[in-house]
Amino acid sequence: MKRLNKRGTDKIISVYWFVILFIVAAAIVYMAVVFYGEPYDVRETEANIMINQIADCISQGGEIKDGVINEEGKLELTNENILSKCHLDFNVEDFKDWKKQEQFYFEINFYKFNKDAPDGLGSKFVNDTIAGNMNLKEYCDKKGKNFPVCVERNFYVLVKENPYIIKIKSIVRKTEKNV
Amino acid sequence: MKKRSSKKGNILTENVIFIVLNLVFLTILILFLFSKMGDVGTLEEKTAKQIALIIDSAKPGMEISLSIKDAVEKANKENWGGKIVFIEGNIITVQLKEGRGYSYSFFNDVELSKNYHYANEGNEYEFAVEAYKKGGAVESNEETE
Repeated sequence: MKRLNKRGTDKIISVYWFVILFIVAAAIVYMAVVFYGEPYDVRETEANIMINQIADCISQGGEIKDGVINEEGKLELTNENILSKCHLDFNVEDFKDWKKQEQFYFEINFYKFNKDAPDGLGSKFVNDTIAGNMNLKEYCDKKGKNFPVCVERNFYVLVKENPYIIKIKSIVRKTEKNV
Repeated sequence: MKKRSSKKGNILTENVIFIVLNLVFLTILILFLFSKMGDVGTLEEKTAKQIALIIDSAKPGMEISLSIKDAVEKANKENWGGKIVFIEGNIITVQLKEGRGYSYSFFNDVELSKNYHYANEGNEYEFAVEAYKKGGAVESNEETE
């Protein structure tokens, strides 16, 4: 009788063993599908590279490049010519409605350096320069991977030996291919 | 005596079946994981995005050599004899099997060398960044000095 019970218990244990194995397998399959099924999200890297390219276009060795601000103190880079001057091409592949709405946006803000302000930002000294899809800007406050990725970086630059801060905000959408 | 030996044989058979089934189960699981890891679609996407990001951060005059050994091996496995990487305008497409491949755009407006080629027995993709496409660039401080 004792032996019979032991064999019965063994069978139940083996059934449970397969149930546990099945649950573990299902969890691993789920994780693999979730991990490998999702595309690689490179939007943050793209936004950072774009900021680097714009920064290289504006300044060199910590000084503003010739041709960015003219003798009258006005910005030579306009919303119309910034893309060609900084060698940017916002054309994208024909995917979903990407051709109808631009997938990139950036804006450049020039501030005077204020040593008393905690972030060093003083008043703006020239108008902002923007390019791309302006509507993307409104999603920057929202959190979630389905929204466009926003990256903002500041750097110091000398304009005729006076310090200024340039703030560049770059936004990349391309949600369908990165999320 | 006879009964005892038959019971022993029974227990052994059950255990062997149990172990074999476990092994089959685990093998299927591992094969599934490996199939997912080396998926053609994933590899096409990874390679296309990698090249697009490299071009985005490249400057004129740079020569770039990228190892695409995994992609070449996968294309050979899939019997794909066509081009693996092709660039049209600012869109890069990587194709490792029959179909449309995977396309991704880059925003750096550079002219790439027309004679990009595969080196090291086809395991490396080499190309050069020649110049920016459009003129009217902001002047470099060094050039004006």
